[in-house]
Amino acid sequence: MFQYIVKRILYFIPTLFVISLLAFGLSKCTPGDPCNVPLPPESNKSSFINSEDDAKSRCNLFGLDKPTFYFALTSKAYPDSLYKILQKDKRTNWNDLIAQYGNWDQISKYKTSIRNLQLKLFDIPDSLGKRAIKKISNESKFLEVLSDDDAIVKKLKKIETIYNNNPSFGTIIGKEISDIKNNYEQIKEKSTLTQLYIPTLHWYGFDNQYHNWITSFFVGDFGISYNTYRPVFSEIRDAIFWTFLMMSLALILSYLVAIPLGVFSAKNKHLRFDKFATVLLFILYSLPAFWVATMMVVFFTTPEYGSWTNIFPGIGLGNLPSSAPFWDRFWETAKHLILPVLCLSYNRLAFISRQMRGGMLGVIQQDYIRTARAKGLGEQAVIWKHGLRNSLFPIITLFANILPTTLAGSVIIEVIFNIPGMGKLTLDAISQENYPIVFAVLMIAAVATMLGILLADILYSLSDPRVSFNKK
Amino acid sequence: MAFGKTKREQTKNTLEGSEVPSKYWSRVKQRFFKNKLAKWSLRILIVIFLIGTFADFIANEKPLYCKIEGKTYFPVFKQYAVDLGLSTWDTKFYQTPWSEHNYEKLIMPPIPYSHFTIDSKNSRFKSPFDNQDVPSTRYWHWLGTDQFGKDVAAGMVRGARIAMLVGIISMLIASIIGIFFGVLGGFFGDNRFKVSRVRVLLNIIGIFFSYFYGFQVRSYALRMAGENGTLAIELSKSLFIVFVILLLCNLLARITERNNFLSKKITIPVDIIVMRIIEIMNSIPALFLLLAVMAILEQPSIISVMVIIGLIRWTGIARFVRAELLRIRSLEYIEAAEAMGFKDWRIILKHGLPNAIAPVLITIAFGIASAILLEAILSFLGIGLALEEVTWGELLSYARRNTRAWWLALFPGLAIFITVTILNIIGDGLTDALDPKSKV
Repeated sequence: MFQYIVKRILYFIPTLFVISLLAFGLSKCTPGDPCNVPLPPESNKSSFINSEDDAKSRCNLFGLDKPTFYFALTSKAYPDSLYKILQKDKRTNWNDLIAQYGNWDQISKYKTSIRNLQLKLFDIPDSLGKRAIKKISNESKFLEVLSDDDAIVKKLKKIETIYNNNPSFGTIIGKEISDIKNNYEQIKEKSTLTQLYIPTLHWYGFDNQYHNWITSFFVGDFGISYNTYRPVFSEIRDAIFWTFLMMSLALILSYLVAIPLGVFSAKNKHLRFDKFATVLLFILYSLPAFWVATMMVVFFTTPEYGSWTNIFPGIGLGNLPSSAPFWDRFWETAKHLILPVLCLSYNRLAFISRQMRGGMLGVIQQDYIRTARAKGLGEQAVIWKHGLRNSLFPIITLFANILPTTLAGSVIIEVIFNIPGMGKLTLDAISQENYPIVFAVLMIAAVATMLGILLADILYSLSDPRVSFNKK
Repeated sequence: MAFGKTKREQTKNTLEGSEVPSKYWSRVKQRFFKNKLAKWSLRILIVIFLIGTFADFIANEKPLYCKIEGKTYFPVFKQYAVDLGLSTWDTKFYQTPWSEHNYEKLIMPPIPYSHFTIDSKNSRFKSPFDNQDVPSTRYWHWLGTDQFGKDVAAGMVRGARIAMLVGIISMLIASIIGIFFGVLGGFFGDNRFKVSRVRVLLNIIGIFFSYFYGFQVRSYALRMAGENGTLAIELSKSLFIVFVILLLCNLLARITERNNFLSKKITIPVDIIVMRIIEIMNSIPALFLLLAVMAILEQPSIISVMVIIGLIRWTGIARFVRAELLRIRSLEYIEAAEAMGFKDWRIILKHGLPNAIAPVLITIAFGIASAILLEAILSFLGIGLALEEVTWGELLSYARRNTRAWWLALFPGLAIFITVTILNIIGDGLTDALDPKSKV
């Protein structure tokens, strides 16, 4: 048994590794760039350099200033230091240029000359033509995100015309502009396309984004939220309280109702009650929870349809201040939680009850039940002591997927009832492009599912010793 | 009258009548239709399917048939021709809305609105019982309208099409992937897939190089193609490169296999690999994965929802096929086929799969139900919606914005509920019908 558990846990590691790769890979495909801080419109040299530092410190905060993975498979044309360019759009652009010409040496010269021009522009006194300076500065920023030949040539021409129209600039930025032009010509002339077809493996070592992300994930550090700058962990902790509370209430409710109901139905198979219950449970089982939740919100929380339907308070958790007496707050919250908990539990209730009835029906026919009756035990003792214990096994194993299914089920219920739990947190994070939360939740959900599967296997083998551990 | 027939014909007829496969399926059919609930569920499903298929003829702002200034038109039919680029509309149809022509003769579809028709006179949530501003009861909004005055009934008809499409396409994708992996794992098991050392080695090298030259080197070209809309051409070029490199590797393997050391066979535990992949897929909660993937798509659409659901939801099918093939593989007739020297793929396709396919139907029925539900949840949350489409989940979500609109809460939800439930009943019915132990 112990061996089996150890083996199962060892099996976890590769699975978890692949899932973490998947989640990390997805997180790298997200649109938007958290490092990018828009430059203030009225900028001078110091604010220009400050904004670069800003981007650097943001990247540092989110851990994005490291290489992405342990290694990178690229062609020989790409340098191994490209990750040091923090802004995503610029990085992509230099990548695109390399893909066309394959000579990083020239491209980096071109890149430096653009930056030199941008810095030099601040040295021109405003009196010489503020608008022209602004224009050149804007065009030069475009150069950093353009890789198409025609577009670059066009922009270069535009800069040149502005420059020619302002002869007073001549002594200050003339050299820089011709540098840019020359360097761009050099890129095209000295292209080394063959290098693009030679595979190279860059090894970055352990100080990379993935390594830092996954190792800190296991010590409970899920990164920093892009919006609030709070640790993702504390945001998730706040949210998980509500999800966990609703989940436990729903579970207790569904098991408390479902097991007696299932047993009673099975015991009184011939009664009309059983037929009625079976149909009702089937309908309950297939009613989509989000529809029921919407209907409840529409009909039972608003006075639109007469005061007698307005039984429950509106969505949310109420807005009593935290200074209010504890019991007041408690009742307020409890009132708000009734409907969501009902919506979370009825599906499972129906399912467990159906399973329970089926299991009990099978058990009642067994010989040992007949023996128990024969030796004179009362009906209650036979059913609840001998019958229930043996028909509970399949129910226990249902515990396995409780965590993931409730987590998934709570997404929509939380959104409908506006409860600040995990599901709502995830959806809000998606709409705000706050990706560290999205992928932390994805990983947590995956780990929870795997633990659930492990728990199920162990419970299953405990409940039925015939399950063999070696052969599967 | 058997006198006119020759004896030969008679025997032939008898033989055809008692052919085994048709008898199996007819028995399954018989058992399935004995289940009244399942039978009626199937009928309702067919009705929903037909509504989805002929949605344009049921709810459309264009007339089915009309006569203007002595000329006859069939606008609904013509729309198909226009969509295919075979025909164009007269200018008058551009300039005037469909409801404002002077028709001499007119036959409208049962619901005279399209899902996008904005009836501004009846905007701001008109209930079915409200005083609607319509020319006649023929134009009554029987299921009410939404905020902009769009007809809910027309939206429901359109939603039926989307739901059916989502269910069918996502399960088609899931079936292809699931059957492929299921066959791999179930038929070859852990010890029947033997390949020579050199072939394994060369294939690994081949995969590396085909990735490098097919995708890594061409990543810029592919991305540009994605922006220009020529992605299909560039992608097929990439796949061609992959194909050529892998082909070369395998040809090389065939030549070098003459060497004794290199040609030594090693067994690949296919089943373990397949089961691992399934476990990984099952470990990620589908809804969260779906949400995460939709979050990174820049232009999510209903198609991407279908594809992603298909890519996530294949594990159930794979497990069923695998289990079934594991059982079939040890049967005598497969052994006989092997003894006759048939190739593996022929045994799988002709003898294995046809007998393993029956239980897959059950998973597909349940799978369609869950795909429709997933899509409804997504569009309810407002994720992956195209502006011009209408889905049941989206209609239902409008009820949250205006709690007075009970018809928006009731009808779309009812449609989702009925569709999902009948699919589950059909799944249950199939389970019973395919179980050989159940009585006829």
